[in-house]
Formats: sequence, C-alpha cells, structure tokens
Amino acid sequence: MIAPLQLLWGYYMRWTVRWPALAAFVPFLPLIALWSLIVSLGVFPRAFLPGPLDVLSKGWALLYKGILTDYLADSLARLAVGAAAGMAIAIPLGVFIGLNRRAYEISWPILLFFQAIGDIAWLPILLVWFGFGLTTMTFVIVYTVLFPVVLNTVLGIRTVKPELRRAAQSLGASRTRILFEVMLPGALPNIITGLRNGLGYGWRALIAAEIIVGTSGIGFLMFDARRAGSVEEIVVGMIVLGVLWYIVDSWLLAPIERATGQRWGLVTT
Amino acid sequence: MKSLVLENLSKTYFDPYRGTQFTAIKDVSLQVGEGDFVAVVGPSGCGKSTILNMIAGFVPISGGRILVDGHQVKGPGPDRGVVFQSHALFPWKTVAENVTFGPKMRGVGKAERARIADEYLALAGLSHAAERYPNELSGGMQQRVGVVRALANNPDVLLMDEPFASVDAQTRMTLQEELTRIWEERRPTVVFITHDVSEAVFLANRVVVLSKGHVLAEVAVPLARPRSWTRLVEDDGFKALSNQVLQLVRSA
Ligand SMILES: Nc1ncnc2c1ncn2[C@@H]1O[C@H](COP(=O)(O)OP(=O)(O)OP(=O)(O)O)[C@@H](O)[C@H]1O
Ligand SMILES: [Mg+2]
Repeated sequence: MIAPLQLLWGYYMRWTVRWPALAAFVPFLPLIALWSLIVSLGVFPRAFLPGPLDVLSKGWALLYKGILTDYLADSLARLAVGAAAGMAIAIPLGVFIGLNRRAYEISWPILLFFQAIGDIAWLPILLVWFGFGLTTMTFVIVYTVLFPVVLNTVLGIRTVKPELRRAAQSLGASRTRILFEVMLPGALPNIITGLRNGLGYGWRALIAAEIIVGTSGIGFLMFDARRAGSVEEIVVGMIVLGVLWYIVDSWLLAPIERATGQRWGLVTT
Repeated sequence: MKSLVLENLSKTYFDPYRGTQFTAIKDVSLQVGEGDFVAVVGPSGCGKSTILNMIAGFVPISGGRILVDGHQVKGPGPDRGVVFQSHALFPWKTVAENVTFGPKMRGVGKAERARIADEYLALAGLSHAAERYPNELSGGMQQRVGVVRALANNPDVLLMDEPFASVDAQTRMTLQEELTRIWEERRPTVVFITHDVSEAVFLANRVVVLSKGHVLAEVAVPLARPRSWTRLVEDDGFKALSNQVLQLVRSA
C-alpha cells in the first residue's frame, strides 16, 4: 500500500521540478473534483451553486467581451498606485523612527493605535469626506499598506546587530554611508516581509472598497453580478482574486525574499 | 602604523535603573609603540572589553586620555581597525566586498579595490572564496576575513577582542600561526584581548595582566620569531612565560 504511493509521490516531485506550474495547479484538482461531485449530486439548485464548467465558460465569456481584463487592469492599477505611494511614505518613515530613539518612543503607540483601526473601518468616514470615488479607494489602500511596512521597517532597523554598525564606523563609514550600506540592507528582509503583508492586506482592502465604492474593478464585478443574480460571475471573481495573489506572491515577492535575506543567511527557511 | 598611549584611563558605568555606579576601569596607563604587539589578559569581567571599546571609541571614557599617533580619540574612526569576536562581517556583501569596505568608504576606485581584495585575500589564504557570502564560510574563514578586512584599511592600530574565542582548538592554532605570520610580515600595531594565556604569550611581544580594572603586571615575551606551535609547544622559555602569566592571572 505504501510503496505505490511513494512511487507516485516520486513521480510527482520529478514532474513538478520540470514544470513548476504543475505544483501550483495539481493540489487544486481534488478540490475541483469535490466541487463537481457536490454539484452533480444536485443538493443545491444550479443557480445557487454552478459547476466548474459553468464558471469556466462564464469566465471565458467575460474574458472574450474584454470586461474581465479591463476590470482586472483597473484593480491592479489601483493597487499599484496605492502600494507605491504607501511604500514611498512608509519606508523613509520607518527608517527615521527606527534610527531615532525619541521618535520611536513617541510614535510607537500612535502607530499601534492606527494600525488597529482596520482598513475598511475607515470607509464610513472616508465616504463622508471624499464621497464614492478614487480618493476614498486610494486612501484605503495607502493606509493598509502603510502600517505593516512602517512597523516592519522599524523592527528591521532596530534589530540590525550593533557590531555591524560599529564595524562600519571603524572602517570609516559616514552616517549616510552607514544608512545605505548597513542599516537598509540589514532591515531589508523585514521590509520585504512588511511589503508582502501590506500588499496582501491592501489587495483585500481594495476588493472591499470596490464592492462599496467601485464603478469598475474585480470587487465591483462581483457585487454587480450579485445584483444581476449571476453566481457564476461571482465565483469567477473569487477565483481571479486567488490566482492573482498566488502569482504576485510566488512569482514576485517570494523570489525577492530568496535573493536577499535567505541568500545572506539572515532568515532561515 | 602609529603608536597608542593610554593615560590614567578610567571608566565608570551608570546603571540608570538602579541608580548605581560601577567603576570597571580605574587608572590604567599603557604605551604601545609603533609596530608593537601587546596582549591583554585577565579573568572574566576584569574590564578587557571595556578598555578595547574605549580605544575603539565605541564607549565614552570617564577619565584620562587615549592618544593615537598623538591625537586624542573622539569616537570611532578608521585609524583604529577592529576585529570582533562575532566577526561582524556584512552578511549582504561578498567576502571581497567586505574586505574592501574600508577603502570604498575612503573613495578608492574600483580597479584599486580589486587589487586590494586580491592582495589581502591571498594573505588570508582565501582567494578562492572572494565571491562567497559570509554565511557560506566556516567560522575560521569568517575570522580570517574579519582580520584582513581591518588590515586592508591600513589602520594605525589594530584592536582585537577575543577574535579566535569561538572557533575550535585546531582552527584556533592555525589562525594564531597565520596572525603571527601576517604580523611578522607587516608589523601592524596590535592590541589583542584574550583570556587564553598561551595565546597571549604565543602572539605578543608583551603581555599585560589586568585585574579588577587596573594593570597588575606587564610581562615581556622575548621569544624568537618567526613563531610556530610546532617549535613553541616544547620550548622551555614559552612554558616558563606561560606559567608566569598564568600564576599572575590566577592571583588577579
Ligand atoms: N554597558 C555596561 N554597563 C554596566 N556595566 C558594564 C557594562 N559593560 C561592562 N560592564 C561591567 O564592567 C566590567 C568589565 O566588563 P568587560 O566586558 O570589560 O569585561 P571583560 O574583561 O571583557 O570580560 P570577559 O572576559 O568576560 O569578556 C564587568 O563587571 C561588567 O559587568
Ligand atoms: Mg570581553
């Protein structure tokens, strides 16, 4: 009983090494099979729970009409702009707070306080201030990305080994050089972790904002489909969210993490 | 390489939580001539690291003066190279980049830096590891890089705080022989902290025994050079000196 399973596992490992995309896809096969089974048993009406093929054909239709790609582009552009702005504020701020003891003592409680007011908890008041529009959405994303990046950058800067700073000083490095040659690279693994978290939260916050505020985007697509009663379309939206995050995380963020912290032995896998 | 003078040096630590004071160094005076090799030994907690950290400029002094080449020390600077026990190599820089960090900070160009890396890595027997990252090296190799990183910056004084304490006994002997060879070749001014009496006698021209924050004794080490463990291990002069220093440390 064990031997054939081991053999199968061996094949699986070999094939996934050759085609890494398989490793991302195969684990979902049992889930899809289960889904098909439940649908075919007819427990729920089709209009409530469409099967994989219904969803696939709906996705294809949306893609064909260009709606899916347009909305996807809108969502991604919003995330990119919000995340870039968030990082542009968060990294310098985190470095400053991390280097400056007084700034740290003063700002840490404030950071924790505002971090606790979750992204979408801001939506009601933002709607009052800025109305249903891009400003509200951008604010939510920037806000969501900001805190994980600031907090992790502060942590990263503060945990750079003091000997490394001393070594650099004794080798004649100026304060500016120490910042760029020692403190920033030393904090980089933490900064990347912050980014990874921030983008993850930001992506979720964006969908929530689009559902409430949106006139386009994946979140809007899903909510609009609810109005039209198309469960297929809702499921298409959900699948797109998962796939997209998988791509961003495993093809963009994880490789950066491997090339820096893990390569330098700063984080163990 | 230039001389180092400590004049009536003292250090009192304040404990802000308890509001108490502790005098770790009381009135230490010491002269290290240009090209000299002085080892400082003493029991744990006698203030060895405190002295070295004051010379390096990492901790402020409470009294007295520290002069390097006649200039008073104010904070860390490239005139005093430091080799750390925990090697303190930059994990995100290759071995070659670590070794040429000091020259880079001085604005030395790329071609010259490559030459410096070649020269000093050859000196440490590490030419093959130039492009590796520190976490890909053994503990002994990391310490070698730490030593030549400090040397490559041409400091007036080389400060070493138990640099070989965390490697195994075999590797430690090899590193001691290599350091002796490098010193005999280049004659840097060295202050070497250790709690290992035979290491101090093997390496130094002079051993300073520290006790509870003051200098208990200075012992000259007139052993012939070049020194190697194969010769010194059975050498009567070496044994006698080691014994003498050991007695002093134990009485400290
Ligand atoms: N930052 C500090 N604050 C308060 N006391 C300190 C501080 N650093 C060292 N001391 C005290 O000063 C004394 C000397 O410490 P030091 O580290 O110089 O000893 P050492 O000779 O290097 O010991 P070891 O051989 O264990 O490294 C010790 O009693 C220690 O507790
Ligand atoms: Mg010490």
